[in-house]
Amino acid sequence: MTPEAAAASNQVVMGASFWIATALFLLAYGLIVSEKIHKTIVAIFGAALMIVLGIVTQEDAFHSIDLGVDWNVIFLLVSMMIIINIMKPTGVFEYIAIKSAKAAKGKPFMIMVIFSVVTAVLSAFLDNVTTVLLIAPVTLLICQALELDVVPFLITEALASNIGGTATLIGDPPNIMIASRAHLDFMAFIYNLSPVIVVALIAYVITLKFIFGRRLTVKDELRQRVMAMDEREAIKDPRLLKKSLVVLAITITGFVLHGMLHLEPATIALFGAGLLLLVSGNKEPHRILAEAEWATLFFFVGLFIIIGGVVKVGLIRWMSVEVLKITQGNLLGTSMIVMWFSAFASAFIDNIPYVATMNPLIIDMAKQLWPNLSGLQLLHHPDLMPVWWSLALGACLGGNGTAIGASANVIIVGMAEKMGKPISFKKFMLYGMPLMIESVLICTVYVWLRYYVLKI
Amino acid sequence: MVPIQDYLKPEATLREAVNLLRVARKGKERQGVKGLPVLDRDGKVVGMLAMRDILKAVYPSYMSMMHLGDFAWDGMVESLAKQVGNDRVEAHMSRDVVTVRQDKPLMECVDHIVTHNVARLVVLDKTDKVVGMLYERDLFFSIVKAMLDENNRGGK
Repeated sequence: MTPEAAAASNQVVMGASFWIATALFLLAYGLIVSEKIHKTIVAIFGAALMIVLGIVTQEDAFHSIDLGVDWNVIFLLVSMMIIINIMKPTGVFEYIAIKSAKAAKGKPFMIMVIFSVVTAVLSAFLDNVTTVLLIAPVTLLICQALELDVVPFLITEALASNIGGTATLIGDPPNIMIASRAHLDFMAFIYNLSPVIVVALIAYVITLKFIFGRRLTVKDELRQRVMAMDEREAIKDPRLLKKSLVVLAITITGFVLHGMLHLEPATIALFGAGLLLLVSGNKEPHRILAEAEWATLFFFVGLFIIIGGVVKVGLIRWMSVEVLKITQGNLLGTSMIVMWFSAFASAFIDNIPYVATMNPLIIDMAKQLWPNLSGLQLLHHPDLMPVWWSLALGACLGGNGTAIGASANVIIVGMAEKMGKPISFKKFMLYGMPLMIESVLICTVYVWLRYYVLKI
Repeated sequence: MVPIQDYLKPEATLREAVNLLRVARKGKERQGVKGLPVLDRDGKVVGMLAMRDILKAVYPSYMSMMHLGDFAWDGMVESLAKQVGNDRVEAHMSRDVVTVRQDKPLMECVDHIVTHNVARLVVLDKTDKVVGMLYERDLFFSIVKAMLDENNRGGK
């Protein structure tokens, strides 16, 4: 829908297609939340129905960013997955983790802090699930060596990965989705989100000190087991590692400069993945490609088309009108509601479908507030920017609230259960919820102070 | 085929199971076996517990998720062995057991061992009751016999 047409049609027509699309949308979200059927299957079939029932055309679904698949998100994710899958066998991640444990001198609380910070930093550049899958096995090994209960370590890493992932454009899927729809570049995320995430991470570590600082002790002879580990043995393929690090450096430089280069982040990531595939001399690319998480990628594809359907029939428009009625166009209030509502929504439902719905809703709200603006003038309206940042902060950090709030949590809980150390929903929430509220409170003060008081 | 008198129960502890593996009767002597079938109360095969499963029982899954073999320490296996001693057999047995009927031709046994990449088959009678085990080496000796004995016409 063009902005002019949108402005002209403030009234939503609730015809048959409106109700069909709304029912499909609610049914799909209900099934995703219930986990009765795998979410990827729900998304793919729901998307197919949206097209078959004529709610959106195939042209809309495949080629319109407003009504269909956002290929920026898909190509960015798949390219980063390829880069990591090539790097994994080099042993670099084992190296980093063992090195961290030794840097902590085998002292349990220091290990917890350093692992949390390393997880947060890695998560800012890699997908959170990938990061915890890399760091958790080493954590299990180290805790076994120190004869410590691994559960607090695993939970603190999951929480740290969600905090760290919030810091950059590529750190967490909600940010990737917001960046693509709002045309925000990598450096915009660094300027606006990284500072508050650094503060939130420091607060997080201080809180850990209060919770675990005195509780964790370990005998000296057990520490020797950790200190005796030689991290250099982890490096299996030094040549590939050097190539990977060079390509990774080029890719991250590309992200930093992509706004200036007028290239989309997906282009930068695709370039990095292509370059690394080329220089790694990989003879069997199908293996690397098969290891990409296709279930996640197709979940996105399906979801975009389902959302496209409810955007087209006007459900999102109707929702944005209702939201504006509540907020009365007060944008400070809107930011705060968006942040806290997103946080609690993301604590209980997947933040990916949530953000996929919120993006068009916020754009629609902006169209009603400033009907004469369009394009970047509309998306980057100074009064709208804090709303985008509030959405990103709330949706990413909210994942920490419960064991099902973020995919990193789900992975950690699953891994702990497999190790015979189940983490109950309640136990995770006992740590996660207060720490989530702490970080969202910090963000609330930050957004209010920076965008509404200091206005910088 | 080796007839078996010893078998495991799914609810037995790993400690009991390894002891039985160690002293199980093979032929005339109680010299131990490399694997035994796990039978439920009705005598149905529900799994197989072999030496490799005991190795896997002390091998933490996180070790295989990343390349962590270089970072183990002395005493790790021993301490994990103590921890898993009270686990139940059913938690560590392999559930995909390959079985063969007593009256089947030898080639079917060879086929099962090669295609399923296992070292032993559970031999059942017509009523699905376990009557014995067929080990890789039993087949090897049948083949050896056929190769070396020119008058041999094949068969069991």
